[in-house]
Amino acid sequence: MLQLNDLIRISLRQVVRQHKRYLGVLLAIALGTGLMIVIMTMGDEVKSNLNKDLDLLGGATIIKVFFEDGGADRMDRPESFRDGSVETVNALPGVNATTLVHMAGGYATFDKHDTDFIMFGVDEHYWKVNGLHQKAGELFGKEAMDKRLRVVVLGEELAMRIFGRLDVVGEWISVNRVLYLVVGLLDAGSVSERGKWGYTPLTTMMDFWPNVEPRRMYVRCNTWDDVGPVSEQVITAIRARQKADHLRVEVAWEALKHIKRIVWWVELFIYFSISATLLLGGFGIWNGMMTAVKSRTREIGLKKAMGAEDIDIMKQFIAEAVALSFFAGVLGVGLGYGGVELATWLLKSQAPQDLLYLYSLMSIIFTVLLGLGAGFFPALRASRMEVVSAIRYE
Amino acid sequence: MREPVIQVRGMTKDYSNGPQVIPILKGIDLDVYPGDMVAIMGPSGMGKSTFLFILGLLLPPSGGSYMVKGQEVAKLTRSQQAQFRRTFAGFVFQSCNLFEHTKVFENLEFPLIYAGVPRKDRAAMIDEALAKVNMMHRRNHPANRLSGGEQQRVSIARALVNRPSIIFADEPTGQLDLKHSRMVMEHFQRFVSEDKTAMVVVTHDPGVAEQCTRTLYLRDGNLYEQ
Repeated sequence: MLQLNDLIRISLRQVVRQHKRYLGVLLAIALGTGLMIVIMTMGDEVKSNLNKDLDLLGGATIIKVFFEDGGADRMDRPESFRDGSVETVNALPGVNATTLVHMAGGYATFDKHDTDFIMFGVDEHYWKVNGLHQKAGELFGKEAMDKRLRVVVLGEELAMRIFGRLDVVGEWISVNRVLYLVVGLLDAGSVSERGKWGYTPLTTMMDFWPNVEPRRMYVRCNTWDDVGPVSEQVITAIRARQKADHLRVEVAWEALKHIKRIVWWVELFIYFSISATLLLGGFGIWNGMMTAVKSRTREIGLKKAMGAEDIDIMKQFIAEAVALSFFAGVLGVGLGYGGVELATWLLKSQAPQDLLYLYSLMSIIFTVLLGLGAGFFPALRASRMEVVSAIRYE
Repeated sequence: MREPVIQVRGMTKDYSNGPQVIPILKGIDLDVYPGDMVAIMGPSGMGKSTFLFILGLLLPPSGGSYMVKGQEVAKLTRSQQAQFRRTFAGFVFQSCNLFEHTKVFENLEFPLIYAGVPRKDRAAMIDEALAKVNMMHRRNHPANRLSGGEQQRVSIARALVNRPSIIFADEPTGQLDLKHSRMVMEHFQRFVSEDKTAMVVVTHDPGVAEQCTRTLYLRDGNLYEQ
């Protein structure tokens, strides 16, 4: 009876010495395994990064949380977000960023000419939450909020209306008779409405506009999968911190459904491609082992003549298939590590190490099972060969 | 009184060709003793190799009794047949049947692996068998780079490595020139006489038969003494 250590030694030797025959199969399985590791390890990170491009996603992962006008007693002070509510929402699992917004009408005066427009009071997170970038100048940040600076970012259309040109960064304009410095020009992206608006720090707006209270909050989720759970939890979380009888949540369910459907197809395509690669690799092992069984018919006959039992022959061919797929798995894990490193560099993120180890281990187990499955039938066929016909095989 | 290693009584072998049954062996009797070198000759297609394969338990007989060292072996299971082969038998075939992509010593290691010989004991047994056929200098050589004569000597060493009680050889010199043919037979003679091994060899070559202790002819399904 063939001992385990002899079995492993013989099989490894056979695969190493005949590596050229199996090279294509080995690479196919390694590639499939490597891609699987990268996608499974970095999947959430990729989703999150895709999510950042909100113009592409139509803002579907942004939840709008706002206080409705009115209520039981209109004489009450209107409800608005209080200190700590933003932090509470930010702490919810699946929340990427949160911003407070107040919208008010105003008029800008430049060169003795008045222009009516809508001004948004926003905090420094507004740009990140909405995935916005500047076309010129800069988008104000925390310092402007903290120091309540009189600065403004203008949409392109608004700049044209006020100035009749776009090179406006550094200009001063009067808004509601208060001078503001134009620090940036906003790239409106696919939402052309944004080009008509102006943006100033929320704290500044509170100083110079009447009755400014943050009554609108935008919450961006990490991925579209987080939108449902976050939208369910957000009201409860805020109500635990403050009075919020008229709080409402608005989610772009239709857009979200559309995106989920697209992503589902993309994921299906990717997993199908990887599965096809791995199945082809498995078929390659099966085919390679069938060819090996045929070309080594005399060897099988001779080994049986020497006293090898059917089970010994079967074990040997299965072990060769498993050794082959194991090598492919190890190579695939190497490729996967490389792929994950590349992905983290491209996405400027950290790879979840625990997931990487888990999926690497799972990949090795999977490829070993693939080898077992693919090698079984050829091995069975080899084991059932009649000795004399095998010895006489030309 | 000497006990025969092989005792065959009334052995038959039939082949079916559709509804037609073709008898190949028609009730053969044979005794082979330790130290015997039995040559089986006869025209082609008479069943010499078939008889040898039955003796080596590579083929089942259709009828009769076949005993090895007093034990009936004709109706063993496949697993028991394999055990018989790795314990009692060594085989040498006509064409050089060395394993591809292996070295000489690896070829000799396989029978020991199947016989369950511990790894630490194998090297000595391999070296001993290689020394018997003067092939120690080729121990670590790739098998497919040896000449025909050298390959056949390695096959002989492989048949001897687990010290079998019986050697079965099917045209062992069939592909060798006269010089190498004599050399191979001299090796066989020495092992049989030194180790008291029995040997059954199928051959067409009268020169090979001359070097054996007995020659039998197989014709029309029966064995005849010379």
